Amino acid sequence: MWWLKDVWVIDPSQKLSASRDVLVQGGMVLEISSSMTKDEVLAKAQGELIEIINGQGKFVFPGLIDVHTHLREPGQEDKEDILSGSRAAVRGGFTTILAMANTQPVIDSRALVEFVRMQGERAGYAHVLPIGTVTKGMQGTELVEMATMKEGGVAAFSDDGKNIQNAEVMRLALEYAKLTGLLIISHCEDKNLAGEGQMRRGVASARMGLKGIPASAESVIVARDLLLAEETGGKLHLAHISTTESVELIRRAKERGVDVTAEVNPHHLIFCDEEVGITETYLKVNPPLGSRADRESLIEGLRDGTLDMIATDHAPHTQAEKTRPFAEAPFGIASLETALSAVWQHLVVPGRISPDRVIEAWSFSPAQRFGLQGGSLAPGTPADMVLFDPDFSEVIESATLVSKARNTPFLNKTLQGFPVMVWVEGRLVQRNRQVL
Amino acid sequence: MKWQRKDILGLEDMSVEDIRHILHTAKVMKEILMRPIKKLPTLKGKSVVNVFYEASTRTRTSFEMAAKVLGADTSSIAIAQSSVVKGESLYDTAKTIQAMRADLVILRHPSSGSAKFLADILDPGVINAGDGQHEHPTQALLDIFTMEEAIGDLEGKNVVIVGDVLHSRVARSNAWGLQKLGVNVTLVGPPTLLPVEMEVLGVKMTHDLNSALPGADVVMALRLQLERQKSGLFPSLREYSQLYGLTTDRLKKTGKQSIVLHPGPMNRGVEISDDVADGVQALIEKQVTNGVAIRMALIYLLIGGSGNVVA
Repeated sequence: MWWLKDVWVIDPSQKLSASRDVLVQGGMVLEISSSMTKDEVLAKAQGELIEIINGQGKFVFPGLIDVHTHLREPGQEDKEDILSGSRAAVRGGFTTILAMANTQPVIDSRALVEFVRMQGERAGYAHVLPIGTVTKGMQGTELVEMATMKEGGVAAFSDDGKNIQNAEVMRLALEYAKLTGLLIISHCEDKNLAGEGQMRRGVASARMGLKGIPASAESVIVARDLLLAEETGGKLHLAHISTTESVELIRRAKERGVDVTAEVNPHHLIFCDEEVGITETYLKVNPPLGSRADRESLIEGLRDGTLDMIATDHAPHTQAEKTRPFAEAPFGIASLETALSAVWQHLVVPGRISPDRVIEAWSFSPAQRFGLQGGSLAPGTPADMVLFDPDFSEVIESATLVSKARNTPFLNKTLQGFPVMVWVEGRLVQRNRQVL
Repeated sequence: MKWQRKDILGLEDMSVEDIRHILHTAKVMKEILMRPIKKLPTLKGKSVVNVFYEASTRTRTSFEMAAKVLGADTSSIAIAQSSVVKGESLYDTAKTIQAMRADLVILRHPSSGSAKFLADILDPGVINAGDGQHEHPTQALLDIFTMEEAIGDLEGKNVVIVGDVLHSRVARSNAWGLQKLGVNVTLVGPPTLLPVEMEVLGVKMTHDLNSALPGADVVMALRLQLERQKSGLFPSLREYSQLYGLTTDRLKKTGKQSIVLHPGPMNRGVEISDDVADGVQALIEKQVTNGVAIRMALIYLLIGGSGNVVA
């Protein structure tokens, strides 16, 4: 049994943000109350060993749920695999991660869905839930067997990494997915507008002579997909929103009652295009980092709920791939181990976003929208849980990262505020920054 | 002045003092180049390696000549563009060159930022001979040298650069360099090739060549990559040349005996008419000669050591 004393509990599912004692027993949250005496706890333990954690100055919250990760297995295990990715997840405070389908081969059949799920269970760290493709081979033409894949445990459908350019196929996907009740996640990117672009089109791209991706490459597809969701009544989730125009389109669509949610990535909340140097491929990401104004719109969107959740878009790559001239390096930032800390340091500490909103957007909201276990510390729920120390600081070093990837803008930089204990279903999987 | 640069990557980050020092050194180099027997022992025993990921006979030959006049040994590595991604990475190529004990590397590469990428890895110096659409500093320096040679001090002078500015490393380097010398630069091109974000260069921009020409001391036509038409960036060569081609009639609009530059190779009848290209105002061949002098100056400054025997 675990007894966390005098810890600040943030649990948006119970609208709780206060100092409490927390008891965990048998893999479940047993009780959260203002104060407990030793005798009361002993009585509840019924002879079981009690580990007492002094929670003063620390936070406890539901394990984070990341609805957007790339674990690269099967096929690209040099970048990451399900074991290394799920270890990185718990080191970063995530107890549930959704694995994107653009592996090699892509996850477009029940057998592959089962494979990813089984590999996650074998790894035994974070819950790993497979996302399946929307279309066969991610070719954007024929729908996958959605109902069959649901039986295999698919969590959602997405051709992430590649947009479905054919609007009719997208419309049919939103219709057909109603059979499953699962979401269609859209990677909003118009292929022709994005072209061979390397970063957001703007003065920074013009100065460096790097091909630009206009903001409209995202927002025209956001507009299209919102209209299709509205027309079909389908369930839509928009991945990695990065532009002011997209935020505004989503806000208006929600006012009209469209069944849509949206996520934002930590790097889009923290960086902008003018910070990208001509050799800094660790900031090369898709969608590309936007303008300062975009960053403000995203923060505002997250605050007011237009953007429902935060997701990392953890995109691991090898060092060899990133050690190339900008245009030749792949897009993506590996972020499972740094994302929470980065958001904490850059947005929570300066008061831009409240800690309660961050936890809601990164646990409760994704659990609700995707229909997942977790996202709550209500008594009787499985103890997927994080103890977070806002004073713990750490240099992000190659030697300590457990992900296979090193493509993070925080490499060799210090971040402050880290998960120091993480439980998955009451089982301790990370302690003092070490994955157990 | 004390020369401290290891590399020549671009003019955006170069000080006015460095630019002036290069131009001054190039003047001496040009005198040497014009001698009947042009060979110096200055860089004997030094090796200069040309690494060209894009075909460019002109620029590569210019660098080779420059190095040879100064007595350096030169070698060339030409790498087909298609093997950039599939073949050995630039990182590994760089390590190989370093292991061969090269003293100076000249890089031409289709990716913006590749020169800085290489310079960050290598101990020997790097001269950027054109990186993607980013910078082409030796071209801009030879352009500036040619302008000064023809019309003297450039401060307050008017330079019009017309063409595909968006994709032009020549335009970027010239815009940075000329501004530092107090030149009024105007960029001209259709909106698709001169989009609004090019304002970042900090110079005047217009889509109307005729209105930009009056008062121009220098008109520089950029080479139009003909494949841009296929990408829809302009509708036809005919319309492009009608709007932006440099013709004798149009050149009269400057109201001056303006000089005409072109980085070459020219598309005659597209961005420049035959009569302008072959006319007295065009200094295109002078640019080529001055290119060798500028490159001699840079190679000398980077690996000539402290024995200041020529300047």
